Amino acid sequence: MTLLMLFIKQAILAAIPAVGFAMLFHVPAKYLKFCAILGAFGYVCRSALLQLHMPIEWASLVAAMLIGLIAVYWSRKHLIPRPVMTVAAVIPMVPGSFAFKTILSLLALYNHGFDTQLLAEVLENGLKTLFILGALSFGLAVPSIIIYRNRPIV
Amino acid sequence: MDVSALSAPTEPSLSRDLQNQLCRLVARVAQTLMQHGAETKLIEETSIRLGTCLGLEQVDMAITANAIVITGRVSGRCVTTTRRVYDRGLNMQMVCEVQRLTILAEKHLLDAAQVEQRLNNLVPLKYPRWLIVVMVGLSCASFAAQFGGSLLVCLNTFVASSCAMAFRQSMGKRHHSPMVNFCLTAFVATMIAGVATTFHLGRHPEIAQAASVLLLIPGFPLINAVSDLVKGHINMGIARWFFASLLTLSAAVGVSFAMWLGHLWGLW
Repeated sequence: MTLLMLFIKQAILAAIPAVGFAMLFHVPAKYLKFCAILGAFGYVCRSALLQLHMPIEWASLVAAMLIGLIAVYWSRKHLIPRPVMTVAAVIPMVPGSFAFKTILSLLALYNHGFDTQLLAEVLENGLKTLFILGALSFGLAVPSIIIYRNRPIV
Repeated sequence: MDVSALSAPTEPSLSRDLQNQLCRLVARVAQTLMQHGAETKLIEETSIRLGTCLGLEQVDMAITANAIVITGRVSGRCVTTTRRVYDRGLNMQMVCEVQRLTILAEKHLLDAAQVEQRLNNLVPLKYPRWLIVVMVGLSCASFAAQFGGSLLVCLNTFVASSCAMAFRQSMGKRHHSPMVNFCLTAFVATMIAGVATTFHLGRHPEIAQAASVLLLIPGFPLINAVSDLVKGHINMGIARWFFASLLTLSAAVGVSFAMWLGHLWGLW
């Protein structure tokens, strides 16, 4: 039950940034709801996989793939290109805190001199940021690489 | 070898004028898509589909980071045209509309003149500035909540990121370089989020600071970069990836300057 509450809270907290960033990208108002649904779904899906002890990069990849696949259905139905929905939907999963920690430890490394602990933090957070970002953007491209190989989706 | 067959080509089915017009139209569609942030495969596919369904035999295009070259061929006669592309800012509504025009033309519901007329009448959708400011503020506040911040931290993030977004918009309106814009915006966000903590608005400046600079995620350049790379447009992918990295780097410079200033003044 507490898990369900957590997922509901996360879904709401993921839908808001998805819509906010969709408006920043000037997505037409009638498609904002798809961004919100996909954003919430992707985030909850990822955190459910994290509960099953899947590494965060693989969980991100799976969540982004699912977002991409669902978006195929909606883009064919409404005749709109997929990035209109998918890019805003993965924004809540972008590893912002890892990126910020990387910058902070990099600055500390520069200001206080070399330290193995700090270097480890830079590498761990930096690699995590890079891998999660790669997984998210590759996951979105999966339907057009694997299923719709040489033909347009819409 | 029969030379006469080479010197007497078949009469082209399309007049020279019409071919020129179609090539211009296709170039304009490609230019519009690129200016508003479509990925390379979408630009190429849409332009080629439009050109071939309106009567060109073959359309080929070369896309570089800031120009497009298009050749439309009819019975061996080629017309080539180049367009310089200026960034007009992301606008998915324009991308949707242009794609829709192409689909309508493909189903023979529109002819070339009608496509051109509709293209002329397209106006980029702009949400009101205050609405974007509020929504982006809320987005960053919910990032702060995801990071485990308390209500006060979220409020702090909301204020900092809304101010930063308003600042970013006014910089953008004055056509500053995106690098300068991102650097200064990150500085503003980090400073406001940090200063608020000194007035005991929440106890964790790092959470508010980390969440409030997230409005600068270069999401579209990054995702377009990876999808260009995996779909074979390596040069465009590298260009976009590099641009996204530069933007991130500028934001990091702004953050680090604000951090240094905060430590210097003993704010946090």
